[in-house]
Amino acid sequence: MRHSHNARDAMLFSMPFLVVYAAFLVIPIFYGLYLSFFDWNILAGKRFIGFQNFADAFRDEKFIAALLHTCQFVLISTPATIIVGFLMSLIVMSASRLGKAAETVFFMPYILSITVIGTLWSWIFQGNFGILNQLLAACGLKTVGWLTDPNVAMWSISGATVWWTAGFNMILFTAGMKQIPDDVYEAAKLDGAGYLTVLTKITMPLLRDTSILVLILQIIASFKVFGQSYVMTGGGPYGSTRVLVQYIYETGFSYFRMGYASAMSILLFLIILLISVFQLVATRGEK
Amino acid sequence: MNKRRLGDVLVALLLVIWVAPMIWLVSTSLKSERNVMTDHLSLFSAPLTVENYEKAFGTTEIGLWLRNSTIVSVVSTAITLVIDAMIAYAIARIPFRGRESLFIFVLAGMMVPFEALIIQLYLEFNALGLINTLTAAILPRLAMPIGVFILVQFFKGIPVALEEAAYIDGAGRWRIFTSVIIPNGKSALVTVMILSFINAWNDFLWPLVVASDSAKYTITVGIANFQGTHGTEYSLIMAGALVASLPLIALFLAFRDQIVKGIAMTGMKD
Repeated sequence: MRHSHNARDAMLFSMPFLVVYAAFLVIPIFYGLYLSFFDWNILAGKRFIGFQNFADAFRDEKFIAALLHTCQFVLISTPATIIVGFLMSLIVMSASRLGKAAETVFFMPYILSITVIGTLWSWIFQGNFGILNQLLAACGLKTVGWLTDPNVAMWSISGATVWWTAGFNMILFTAGMKQIPDDVYEAAKLDGAGYLTVLTKITMPLLRDTSILVLILQIIASFKVFGQSYVMTGGGPYGSTRVLVQYIYETGFSYFRMGYASAMSILLFLIILLISVFQLVATRGEK
Repeated sequence: MNKRRLGDVLVALLLVIWVAPMIWLVSTSLKSERNVMTDHLSLFSAPLTVENYEKAFGTTEIGLWLRNSTIVSVVSTAITLVIDAMIAYAIARIPFRGRESLFIFVLAGMMVPFEALIIQLYLEFNALGLINTLTAAILPRLAMPIGVFILVQFFKGIPVALEEAAYIDGAGRWRIFTSVIIPNGKSALVTVMILSFINAWNDFLWPLVVASDSAKYTITVGIANFQGTHGTEYSLIMAGALVASLPLIALFLAFRDQIVKGIAMTGMKD
């Protein structure tokens, strides 16, 4: 356009967003970096200690445990949500009779808040009156301490998470499948290829990019896990489901060690940045 | 065919696993406190009752939490729409030096995990004296990079001729923005509006950090807190969880296609 005030106008239109963006995203990033070099209990004074917080983190058993629990959650929930999401999109794409209804049902949990998901599944997993144990008992089987057995709790939390978010992956897979041209399938049909052959030789290879996207998004979301364990177990039993974000939260708001909590936040940030960069490199390398 | 049968069983199994918990939520909320403990397995044991809903609204602060969540979600969605649309217009339609860099700068925000900012944000709001206010619940989520992404893509597709016609009629940039871009970008704006509303309504960690007084809870924090205060009153808790979800379920049923499209387009996950 032939405006003479392009730069000025662009600045005016961008300003409101940029002010909020700077105040609540850019500045906190640098403020957090700054804080991570201090020993600062909010009730006492601030003292510069260099990289000591970071060194402490890797000697802190609770931090290592929280990191391991988070990784355990990532390793359980990522493949499960992806496989289930993929199966869902196959159902949505094939069964024309109930495809749309199935899509709605599978996706519905995703729009519910994590506290609703958490309270609902706490009730389902409840030891004495919960439906799962009641069903097991009715079948004459031994009941399970879904949220009270340290060896089981993280699996239960992951199960509830699959129920919550598999529908999200389904949407992405379905969108990817819709982009595969029909004539590819028709050609395969003419060659006499069966359902499984089409699935493994055509659909899955052509969904490579979508799968990478889903994988990365899923890993990132899983590293940020908090609400599930906070609501369902509070990090228990015996700290077996205490994850990174919860430990940061407790360090900051229960123990008021703001510098140390900031340093751990930076580490979380770095982990996620690394995964994002990996995605950028992986997808750029293809083009 | 056997393979066909296997597929059908798998479909049925997945559908049951996804439907059953929702039915269980509704069914528990309609049972009396005593029936929950005695009639474990029955789906809808007579007599059905709405006493849990009466109790939720009568004896807990759930009404207040719903009001707080509504204020937070409506206000933040409205402001997000305005500021996201404005910068998206600048990036999509105004040629200026640095617009590519500006776009990248905005999109980079998507890589920043909000969870890694809560300590600093808390201290920031503490310094501003805004802890335990709804304002604090609203402010940090206003700038929504993914919304800018959606709107820039869409605004780029609006024909230049429309803009030029308005320009020849003597319209300035602001008039062009409000009378050409906004009306023509309606479908993308609706998508951003819904995604922003869902985000705000479901936000949990930040309201949890910033609200210390139960009168300032949003509904997500309130429901999480139910378990602490109403331990084993499962029918009451389920009634509360359902009430907390109704606005989103209504929104979902009304705007299902836009929500699905928005997610498919952006891969938004939060």
